[in-house]
Amino acid sequence: MNPTIETREVISVTVGGNCLWGTYHRSHFARRSSSASSGEANRVGILFLNPGFLPRASPSAVYWANSFAKCGYPAFRFDLPGLGDSEGDLPDKMLDFVSAGGYASSLSAIIKQLVERFSLSGVVIMGLCAGAVTALFTAAVTKECSGVVLMDPYFNVPPDRLKIQNELSQWATWTRLGALASEIYHRFRHVGLLLTGNKLPRNANFPLLHCWKQLTSAGTPILVLKAPAVKSQGLKPRTGVFDYLAYLQASSGRRSRVAVHFLEGTNHSFADHEGCRAVRHHTVRWLKDCFPPVTSRKIAVLKKPALEQAETGLNSYAPADQLALHRH
Amino acid sequence: MSAAVEMEPAEQAGYFEVPRAHLYTVLHGAAEPSARVLLVGPFTSERHFSYIPWVRWARYLAARGIECLRFDYRGIGESTGVFEELSFDDWLEDVELLAAWLKRRSPDLPLLLHGLEMGGILAAKAFESGIGDGLLLWSPPANANVAFRGALLRRVAVDHAFKYKDERKPVSDYIRRLENGESLDVDGYEWSDRLWNESLKFELPAGIANQADGAMAFPKPVRMVKLDGRAAPLVKGSSVGYETINRDLSGLFTENLDWIRSAVAQHKRGSREPNH
Repeated sequence: MNPTIETREVISVTVGGNCLWGTYHRSHFARRSSSASSGEANRVGILFLNPGFLPRASPSAVYWANSFAKCGYPAFRFDLPGLGDSEGDLPDKMLDFVSAGGYASSLSAIIKQLVERFSLSGVVIMGLCAGAVTALFTAAVTKECSGVVLMDPYFNVPPDRLKIQNELSQWATWTRLGALASEIYHRFRHVGLLLTGNKLPRNANFPLLHCWKQLTSAGTPILVLKAPAVKSQGLKPRTGVFDYLAYLQASSGRRSRVAVHFLEGTNHSFADHEGCRAVRHHTVRWLKDCFPPVTSRKIAVLKKPALEQAETGLNSYAPADQLALHRH
Repeated sequence: MSAAVEMEPAEQAGYFEVPRAHLYTVLHGAAEPSARVLLVGPFTSERHFSYIPWVRWARYLAARGIECLRFDYRGIGESTGVFEELSFDDWLEDVELLAAWLKRRSPDLPLLLHGLEMGGILAAKAFESGIGDGLLLWSPPANANVAFRGALLRRVAVDHAFKYKDERKPVSDYIRRLENGESLDVDGYEWSDRLWNESLKFELPAGIANQADGAMAFPKPVRMVKLDGRAAPLVKGSSVGYETINRDLSGLFTENLDWIRSAVAQHKRGSREPNH
């Protein structure tokens, strides 16, 4: 078994005594280089976190990592402690653990090791759903984090749902009467929101919101990608549901660099073709805007400070739309 | 094969070259192994949901002197290859090539094949062709289409979760599209009509279809275990949530380790014994 193939490599780091596994997708610059670590020097890497308890290798995660690497961004996928191939124990209440930022210290340690090992200038953390929550918590405590991509993040603390609540949800989506009851319920909630002056709900994840504010006030670039949800209209949640994104955007200061995109025609996993392509398209454009890929020539110039201003070329950037959908 | 990344003294991860692709493999080593087991795991999206208990099972065995190799099929998970271009023959070849590699590590040690769900059919077919000294199956479907339908049902359930009743299409509509030559995206894997049709004919070998038949057909130990919801997320993985991810499966593990040990002992004696 060989840990390295042409485009990627199995890597590991040790955090808190646990061996954590990941996959490194070489940027196309590094593929030409004799050594991966020198080939990635001064580049911004991107690290992807899968949602929930899923291992690091979903088809979409592999596809995005390959795409970013082809565009010149070294890409990483990691299994956090207890997940996938990584060692460690899983918390009994995993959702609570994630909501409290439980994985932030481990992920922060991973990022520090990646930056050192590959001489990266920084790392963008990209997370889906619960992975987005961990990304935000981690970004706030990691100076090596250059930016954040949040895919369908949530900003509340998900409550423990009783069995009857799940059954009611099923009833609401499967029957006309249930749908009507749900609609009335959400109208009441809407009135409630109006009466309280659209205040943050009690189950808002306040520490997570604080992380957002910390990052936006520091000018950290943030990209938010939203998928359609039930009875929602574009970026707006359904009637009666608190609009966290609008709240956060409105309360972010002048320095904030937040871009929000609604991706039509996909679902919460973004795993279908449309979702995969749209995520790649928006993320590559955002990366290009915020972190223009540094060509090998540029790096050579950076090593000679006297000539630092001379190079501005981005010859190797491949427009997202020209990338074919291949899963290798 | 060159040296692999050493994650800890006993676990090695790397890529194994097969025609037109590389398989992601993890070897769970044991200091002085008494046997080796090739773990032939679930397919496509089921692989992702059952991953944690599958890894725990491999570690459980390795800690008890049974060296294990687990892997991702071509075009699935961490392995390379384009899923929509592959067939069951390719995935069976993955099993055969890895079993041969594992056997070569120490030809004197018994090699067992252990298949879970779709992996059960692949392991059974390899075993039928003479590979391995014992076969353990957890919930193999009668044919690959049964496994496909399970995954399809869950895909449809996700679709329905984002739609109201009037907008929903029945499962039969999805199947009709496959039967009419369309392809279907299921959790990021592109199912072609060709693969769907092949899945109907890719069956558990008749001689292994039930345990008793296995005893008659093969002079080697065979065991088949039907797992129920209590074994989630090993099976029914994608229909479960966070609450079952940390489930204690030690009872299942202990029982099956005992069977593996008895199969190893039987192999060593070189005699036939009734199956359990």
